[in-house]
Amino acid sequence: MPKKNITNQDELFHFIDSDTISSEKITAPRYSYWKSVFRVFFRKKINIFLIFAMAFILLSAFILPNFWYYDYMENVTDPTTFNLNPAQAMERFGGDIKWVLGTGPYGNSIMYGIVSSARTSLLLAIICAAINMVVGIIVGAIWGYSKRVDQVMLVVYNIVANVPYLLLVSVLVYVIGSGFWSFVCALTITGWLGIAYFFRTQVMIIRDREYSLASRCLGTPVLRVINKNILPFLTSVIVTLLATELPSYISMEVFLSFIGVGLSAEVPSLGRMISQAQTAFLSYPWEFWPPVAIASAITIILYVLGQNLADASDPRTHM
Amino acid sequence: MLKRILFSIFSLLVVIAVVMVLVFSLIERSVIFQTDDTWNKKSNNDRIIYEYTQYSKYQYLNYVDFTTYVGNIYAEKLGPNYGTDPDFIKDSKSVQYATTYLDNELVQKFIKEYKDKGYEIRYLEPIKFKSGKTKPGGNGYLIAIQEKNVLLRLWDYIVHFITVETTNDIQDPNLTERYIRFEADPYGGPFAIVGSGTTHKYLLYFNNRFPFIHQNWLHINLGTSYTTYRGQEITEVINNPTGDLITSRQQYPALLGSDEFEETAIDFHSVTYNKGTISDFEKSLFTDGYTVYKYNRGGLSMIENSFVIGLIAVVIAYALGLPLGMLMARRKDRLGDKIGNAYIIFIMAVPSLAYIFMFAAIGTSVFNLPYKFANAEVKVLAYVLPILSLSARDVANLMKWMRRYMIDQMNSDYVKFARAEGLSEREIYNIHISKNAMIYLVHGIPATILGCLTGAIITERVYSVPGIGNLLTTALNRHDNGVIVACTVFYTALSIISLILGDLLLAAYDPRISLNEDKGGGR
Repeated sequence: MPKKNITNQDELFHFIDSDTISSEKITAPRYSYWKSVFRVFFRKKINIFLIFAMAFILLSAFILPNFWYYDYMENVTDPTTFNLNPAQAMERFGGDIKWVLGTGPYGNSIMYGIVSSARTSLLLAIICAAINMVVGIIVGAIWGYSKRVDQVMLVVYNIVANVPYLLLVSVLVYVIGSGFWSFVCALTITGWLGIAYFFRTQVMIIRDREYSLASRCLGTPVLRVINKNILPFLTSVIVTLLATELPSYISMEVFLSFIGVGLSAEVPSLGRMISQAQTAFLSYPWEFWPPVAIASAITIILYVLGQNLADASDPRTHM
Repeated sequence: MLKRILFSIFSLLVVIAVVMVLVFSLIERSVIFQTDDTWNKKSNNDRIIYEYTQYSKYQYLNYVDFTTYVGNIYAEKLGPNYGTDPDFIKDSKSVQYATTYLDNELVQKFIKEYKDKGYEIRYLEPIKFKSGKTKPGGNGYLIAIQEKNVLLRLWDYIVHFITVETTNDIQDPNLTERYIRFEADPYGGPFAIVGSGTTHKYLLYFNNRFPFIHQNWLHINLGTSYTTYRGQEITEVINNPTGDLITSRQQYPALLGSDEFEETAIDFHSVTYNKGTISDFEKSLFTDGYTVYKYNRGGLSMIENSFVIGLIAVVIAYALGLPLGMLMARRKDRLGDKIGNAYIIFIMAVPSLAYIFMFAAIGTSVFNLPYKFANAEVKVLAYVLPILSLSARDVANLMKWMRRYMIDQMNSDYVKFARAEGLSEREIYNIHISKNAMIYLVHGIPATILGCLTGAIITERVYSVPGIGNLLTTALNRHDNGVIVACTVFYTALSIISLILGDLLLAAYDPRISLNEDKGGGR
C-alpha cells in the first residue's frame, strides 16, 4: 500500500514562526582581536624560534640556580684559582660543567655566575617594567584625559625630568641601600613618570577624536570612555613601550654597576660581573664576554619579540 | 616667550633646591668619614672639631672657631706676625679653662656676635686626666655653628652665582693704589685692561690661544669642588687645558726691559693677588702684590675634549643616519632595509657598554688604534674610537626615526599628487618626503649639539678620555657636594636652553608652527 507512506505529511514539514533575533545576525566571519594578533605573530617563523630561545633562557635562569648554588667567595682563600681560563680551570677542577667558562677574579665559577646573574637581571627587568608600566599607564591615562591634572603634572614633570636621573638613582641607592628591593625602588620611584608622559600624549591624541567626542556628548562616564574608547586603541602602543622598557632595565643595571652605583656585592648581577671584568677585558676575555653575551642575548630577544608582538597587535596588520 | 623663560628659571631653581635636599639632607653626612684616616687618628674634642671643619668644607654648615676669630682680629690689628703677641696668646688660651673662659672680653664678644647672626654656640670643655694634664685631643674649644637650611643654601648659591671683580676685592692696608685702566700688555697682546685691588691683575687681555680674547672680570661660580679638585671652581676645572706644560722664553714683570729671559711655563696673564706675605724672592721678580700664578698648558680642556668628540660624532650621525634612513624607507622590506634594521636592533637592544667594548676590542686588535687616550702616540688617532663609539648610537637612532617618519609620510595626499604631476620617485623622496619627515627631527638638533657639552659617561671611561662626562659620577662617589650641585645646574640649564632653541628652530623650519600662544589651534 504505497498510499499509506505519504499520508503523514505533517511529519515531514512544519511551520516556523518568524524569528526577529536570528534575522539580526550577521554572517560575516568572526573577528577575534587576540586570535588575529597571534595569527599574525606566528606567521613569522623567527618568532617561534625566539620564543623557544627566551623560554630556554627563562627556564635556565629560574631553575638552574636552585641546583647550581653560586658562591662568590667559594675559592677566595686560594689565589691559585683566580683568573683561570677555561682550559686551566677544567684541568684544575675536572671536567665539570661548572668550570666550562673558567674562573673569575676570586676563583668564582663564571658559568654559575652568569646563570645566577641572569636570574637577577630578568627578575629586576620584569618587576621594574611591571611597576613602571602599570603606574605609568594609569597616571598617564588620567593625566592625558583631565586638563586640570595636566596643568599640575606638567610642572612636576618639567622639574623631575630635569634632575639628572643618575643623581636621583645614586642618592636613592645611598639612602635606602643597594639590595635588590632597594634597587627596584630606586629605579621605579621616578621611572614611571617618563612612561606616563609618553602615554599622556597618546591619550590626548585619541581623546579629541570624533568618536570620543560623541561618547562624551552622550554622557558616557569618564572611566568608561578611557576603558572602552581609548585603551583598546593603545594596545599596540603599550606593547611597543614594553618592548623597549624590558630590555632597558637590564641595560640600566649594567650601566649603573659599571659606574659604581649598582646592586650590592651579595646580589649576583650581570652588571657587576661586567664591571668587575672590564679592566681586564683584553687579558681575561673569558670573564668579560660571557656576561656581555648573555645580557645582549636577553635584551635582543626581548626587543625583537616585543617589536614583532607590537606589530602584530596593530589591527591594521590583521587584514 | 617671556613667560616661558621665567618658568624655565623657576624650574631651574626648584631643581637646584631638590638636588640640594637630596644631596645635603637625604644622604647621611657621616659617610664622608668612612674612609678618612685623619678622622680615625683624632680623638676626643679634636675629632669633633675635625668633623665640623670637614662638614663646613663639604658645605653642610657654617662653622667658626674662636681661635680663628681671635686670630683674625689680631691680624687686622698687628699684621701677619700676630702669632707671637702675648695678648693674642692669652686671649686664645682663655677657652682652655672651663671655669673662667666666660670672663674674657673677646669670648663674650664672639658669643654675642654669632648669637645675633643666628648661630648655635657650643663650648667643648677641656678633657683632662686626673693629674690635671690634658688628654690627647682634649683641648677646649669654643665654636659657633649654623646649619644651612635649603632656602639659605639656595639664596647663598644665587647670590654668589655671578661675581664681578671690583677694586675693593682685596682688603690689604699695604695696597695703596686702586684702579682699573688700559695698559700696554708686555705679554703678547696689544693692550690689556689691568686692575689693582681686584683679585686678578689682568681683567681683559689678548693672546694667541683660542678664543684669543680672554677675561677675568666676570666669574660664573657653579660650585666649588672639595674632594676631587681641591678647592677649585668647577668652571675653572672644566675650562683649563689638560695637556702638558708649555714653556716659552719669557721675562718676569720686574725684569722687563732687561736681558734676563727664562724658559718658563708661567702664564703671567693669570696672576692673582697674594694674600699672604710676599717673600723677598718674589719681590725681586714681581713689581706688585700679584704674585700667584698658573701655568700654561697645551691640549684641550675637559669640556673641549668632550665637545670635540661629541660634535664630530653628531655630525657623522646626521651625515650618515639621515641618508641611510631615507634609503631604507625607499627600499622598504628589501635586503638593504633588513640589514639596516638588524643594525638598529643591535645598537638599540644591546647594552651600550657591550658594543663600546666590542668596538674597543676590534679597533685595537684589528686596526691597531690606540686604546687608552693618554697612551696614544699620535693624539689625533686617540679620538677615532671614542667618536665611532659615540656616533654608533646616534646613527642608529636617526636611521630608525627617519625611516619611520618617511614611511608614515609615504601615503600622504601630497605624495600622490606629486606622483600624478609626474615627478620622479627620486625627487619625491629626496625633496618632498624627506623635508616633511625632517620636521619631527629638527626639534632635537639643539639638544644633541648642546648635549655634547655634558660628555659621555661610558665612552670617556672606557677610553680614559679626559672629558667632562665623569664629573658627576666621580663627584657622587667622593661626596663632592659642590660639584654635584654644579653639574646639576649645568645639565639642567643646558636641557632647558636646548628645549627653547629646539622650539625656535622648529618654528623657523616649519612656518605652520607658531610659538605665539594666541595663535594656532592648540588647546
